[in-house]
Amino acid sequence: MGATASQLGKDLLSEYQELTFLTKQEILLAHKRFTELLTREERDLNLNTRVPMARILTLPELKSNPFRKRICYVFSTSEQKDGSLTFEDFLDLLSAFSDSATLEIKSHYAFRIFDFDDDGTLDRGDLEKLVNCLTGETDDTQLTPDEMRQLINNILEESDIDKDGTVNLSEFQHVISRSPDFVSSFKIVL
Amino acid sequence: MASELHSQHTGNSYPSDQQSLRLRQDSSPVSNQNYPQFNWSSSPAEDEVDNSGPPRDLRSIPLPMSLKRAVWQVQQMQVPVVSKVESWKWKKTKSLHKLKDRTRGFLYFITLWGKTLQKIGGNFGGGVQSYFLFLRFLVVLNFLSFLLLAGFVLIPSIVFRSVGTSLQNSTGPEECMNYNPNPEGLVVFYHYFLDFLSGTGFMEYSYLFYGFYNNTIVEDRSFSYNIPLAYLFTAVFYFAFCLICIIARMGTAARVAVATGGSAVGNYSKIVFIGWDYGCLGDQATKLKQKNLHYRLQVDLEEERLRKQAAALTLGAKILLYSLRVFMFFVALGLIFAAFYGIFEATNFSQSRTGEEGILGLIFEYLPSIVITAGNFVVPMLCDQIALVERYSPSTTVILALLRAVFLRLVSLGVLLFTLWRQITCEGDTNSQDCKQCQYNNKLYPCWETRVGQEMYRLTLFDLLITIAVLILVEFPRRMVVDNSSNMLTQWVGRQEFVVPSNILGLVYGQTVVWTGALFCPLLPFINTIKFVILFYCKKITLFYNCRPALKTFRSTTSTFFFLVVLLFGWGLALVVMIYSLAEIRPSMGCGPFRFFPSMWSIVPTSFYRLSQVTQEFLFFIGSQAFSIPLFTLSCVVMCYFIALASVYGNSVALLRSQIKLEGRDKQFLVKQIEKLKQLEMPKQ
Repeated sequence: MGATASQLGKDLLSEYQELTFLTKQEILLAHKRFTELLTREERDLNLNTRVPMARILTLPELKSNPFRKRICYVFSTSEQKDGSLTFEDFLDLLSAFSDSATLEIKSHYAFRIFDFDDDGTLDRGDLEKLVNCLTGETDDTQLTPDEMRQLINNILEESDIDKDGTVNLSEFQHVISRSPDFVSSFKIVL
Repeated sequence: MASELHSQHTGNSYPSDQQSLRLRQDSSPVSNQNYPQFNWSSSPAEDEVDNSGPPRDLRSIPLPMSLKRAVWQVQQMQVPVVSKVESWKWKKTKSLHKLKDRTRGFLYFITLWGKTLQKIGGNFGGGVQSYFLFLRFLVVLNFLSFLLLAGFVLIPSIVFRSVGTSLQNSTGPEECMNYNPNPEGLVVFYHYFLDFLSGTGFMEYSYLFYGFYNNTIVEDRSFSYNIPLAYLFTAVFYFAFCLICIIARMGTAARVAVATGGSAVGNYSKIVFIGWDYGCLGDQATKLKQKNLHYRLQVDLEEERLRKQAAALTLGAKILLYSLRVFMFFVALGLIFAAFYGIFEATNFSQSRTGEEGILGLIFEYLPSIVITAGNFVVPMLCDQIALVERYSPSTTVILALLRAVFLRLVSLGVLLFTLWRQITCEGDTNSQDCKQCQYNNKLYPCWETRVGQEMYRLTLFDLLITIAVLILVEFPRRMVVDNSSNMLTQWVGRQEFVVPSNILGLVYGQTVVWTGALFCPLLPFINTIKFVILFYCKKITLFYNCRPALKTFRSTTSTFFFLVVLLFGWGLALVVMIYSLAEIRPSMGCGPFRFFPSMWSIVPTSFYRLSQVTQEFLFFIGSQAFSIPLFTLSCVVMCYFIALASVYGNSVALLRSQIKLEGRDKQFLVKQIEKLKQLEMPKQ
């Protein structure tokens, strides 16, 4: 990258505008916030500098989100699978969560966030983890095992169209496509 | 190219769909990893590179940036190969995109309260946010209406008041001309305040009310402006404009509601897959949201269990429940009618005591408003208690409570208007003693339009004052008591919830009052704009300081449509009032722009015959059957086309759904076959 880390080049900026759903102001704001996460030495390096997950999660927009770690893992391109993000990964994240991203891309990433074991389908284990994330994981907020079983059976009955015991991407997108609230709730704005 | 992309991108590996089945099936014996890993990025990228057709929007491909960039570069290189038309199309879509982005960026800057709404949504969820969005819609609507009224009535009236000729009515009987709105000379200072509250005294004879407007007609050689005609047409266009705005918004809401299907199918999946709001900020909001979802899931599961129980209910228990419901229905009806009677009596009493002075007079003038507000406050609360006894399912309960409240609100306004009508027109009997002379009761109402306008002005103002008073006297103290005491009772009562339906109904009621009064008080939309802006901030303050997030979340999609329907009811009520007063009642002879005419509408035919011959013929043609019948037929044809299209789509959706089910069965069958084959092969090894 020809650009210095502190300032995005004009070409790069327009390239990002082309490749993400973000506007120019949003990209610049994202860059500013991302640079704040870097230490002094890292700021001199290029755009491929990775910020470890722990530091990403100090962002107030992600801090209290129960899916924060999954979000980092899904958008990270790191080979160690440590959930660290480069600036471009960060832009990908913001683009998928932006106001104008399509339902298709949002549902795709939502599916991957919910797919806790990364096997390409949502099975019973994934659904249980997902429900626990939604209700909070302490004992008094968790559903009882009985309720959980009933709930997961109901979910599979509703959305597992081909009855193979798991929810795959197209079945997931089918559910999502019938709920327009999703686009407004799957949103993180800096 | 594709292999290069692969090597660049091994970190984020995720298997493709075609492989998934195979991988899942043989994962247990073969896999040396914990989970089969899947390469999400491989298939779309290859498609993209191979595909020579028009390129897809890169932004909507779920790939990491480096891959997207590579594909983009390939696309850039490919551009010359594409034909000129296609590249032109491509460029056009690109520039359109840019334009869209720019307008979006610009709109973001001028959008009212964008940040606040986002914050509200983040802390209290979509339901509460929908209330504030509705409020913003009404503010904008009222402001635009004000611009319309100001542009065509108010400013011309001010400009032409000194220039134009205004004629005095000398055709009617002398008694009907008596209208002297400023009888008293010097007044005590606090009178100004009372006058401000009730719209009398110095307020009465001003641009605020109908009576002040003149029948000015400016005629030059090249320019003519007829204030009465402008007054009438502006009112009519105001109504049309509001209708168009509501319908346009309804269209959006309906599309959303139809897309969701509005049914309970996929209910649990929806809560689990879509329930999380990623805009939640802060630990507090997250915990509340989690509690909320937990509660909702538990309640839904519980409800399902109850439904199963109810299905197994004995005949006797069923009869008991249904008779209880019927009984409670009549109790609710009785309550509502009692409220109507109260309003009716109060209005009569207030109208018969108009001459009173000072504080007592003010109370008498405000009596109908007080009774209506009290009724609207008490009866829905009682209805809520009744709803608890009736034991309907929660969604039905909400709709029932809403319908009762709507009925009460709008009809109570109707009762007030009816009482006014009875006294203005002597119960419609123009031959009775009071109305014989002027065809309206000129002793009580020398300028009845102004009087109706004042009544609506008072209702609007009173509504705002009540909201502010409740905020200061009830909501803040309640929060302080609840927060600072550990008493069992206060903890049980707790902080208040922000109840979306009743708040929305308050808005609808306020808007209906404004529509009803707009003809008689042209500045009412402006007053209402200010009122709603103040209301926005009051509600925001009470929301953030006094409220806890509701335990029962409120579904925003389907109800948005319902609220707009209710708003349309209000519009309809106001329309009836306007049409009746335009066509039937004799305008006051002593004041206002229509003092010469037997009815307000009669100015239209009068001015029509003063138009040029060609224009008259053209307008006649538009109104004739030769024009209207073909138009009607054409619209019918277009409608039929769309209905047919919709049913075809519905059929194909059903077909596709059954096809998916079949495919699923095929898949299961094949999987079983594979397993059988594997077991056959196993012994050989």
